[in-house]
Amino acid sequence: MVVFSLWVINKAGGLVYQRNFADGLAPLTSNEYLVLAGTLHGIHAITSRLSPMGSSSGVQVIEAETFKLNVLLTVTGTKFVLLTSLADTNADSILQKVYDIYADAVMKNPFHTPEMPIRSEGFDTRIGLLIGTGQT
Amino acid sequence: MTIHSLYIYDRHCVCVFYQDWHRTKRPKPAVEGGILPAVSQAVSPSQQNPNDGNLTLSSSFSSPRNTLSSTTGIVVAMNDGNQLPNAPQMQLSTGSTVSSSSGLPFDEEAKLVYGVVISLRNMIRKLSGRDEQFVNYRTSAYKLHLFETITGFKFVMLSDPKTDSLRFVLRQIYVGPFLEYVVRNPLVKMDSREQGIDNEYFRASVDRLIRGLSVFL
Repeated sequence: MVVFSLWVINKAGGLVYQRNFADGLAPLTSNEYLVLAGTLHGIHAITSRLSPMGSSSGVQVIEAETFKLNVLLTVTGTKFVLLTSLADTNADSILQKVYDIYADAVMKNPFHTPEMPIRSEGFDTRIGLLIGTGQT
Repeated sequence: MTIHSLYIYDRHCVCVFYQDWHRTKRPKPAVEGGILPAVSQAVSPSQQNPNDGNLTLSSSFSSPRNTLSSTTGIVVAMNDGNQLPNAPQMQLSTGSTVSSSSGLPFDEEAKLVYGVVISLRNMIRKLSGRDEQFVNYRTSAYKLHLFETITGFKFVMLSDPKTDSLRFVLRQIYVGPFLEYVVRNPLVKMDSREQGIDNEYFRASVDRLIRGLSVFL
């Protein structure tokens, strides 16, 4: 199980946090990550409208041939996205823990401006402790 | 576990075939000019009735006497009055009464499906840095699977969220019914941008294949 990368997308579709852990995916520039996050935000909105069976959530897991994107949408509209290997089974619990840490280290931080990029050493450290080098 | 619908797109980004099975939230028929002829009788614009004996090749496949309505389980009901809001599944009116369909018009829906698939494909390609394919995605209510051929045809299938990857099924449709009844069929104008690939044999064959799957309940 490998964790490649973690993104936090604000409710407007802006990428407010992006961090790579293990190698394996192409290194992109921060601009490219911003574009991808915006795209994912749009896709998330459309996927909930395409449901053939009543109402649906937005996209939760996107699978490619060697990796997958796990999306956690919070009630406030913030999205946590974890890029992992296909075999990874506890992505959901990692995302939930990331949300916990976000609530503690970012939302309770009086110096943080909501919807703006996360620049918090505490958040960085705790995410580092949780995911480490991305290999488990 | 079940399978909801199948879309086939050609390399010109247009939907050339559509079929659905268990679907409670039906699309409205497409608007005039929104989709090609011979994509699916079920979602064709109601004004332009494909059964109105015009002499194109496509409509000869979909004559009113076809046997499809029994094999697909789709009841092609013409102007049969208003349906109840909770009408049983697999019922369908091709007339102007579409009260049971709460969804988007079909042409809009087909474009959205295509847009999502293409965006995700590009996103995966960018992220991986290789020529890696997008395989499927899952929401709380459904799962979307993609299979793309070298010729640019995209097979998209919507199923129950708990099903495993159905890529092999899409591949089976491609190597089986699609090659047999579309590619090798001289009456089907592939790549024409003018009409879809719907014909009686292809539809029946796909239907048989899907209904034979263990995931289809």
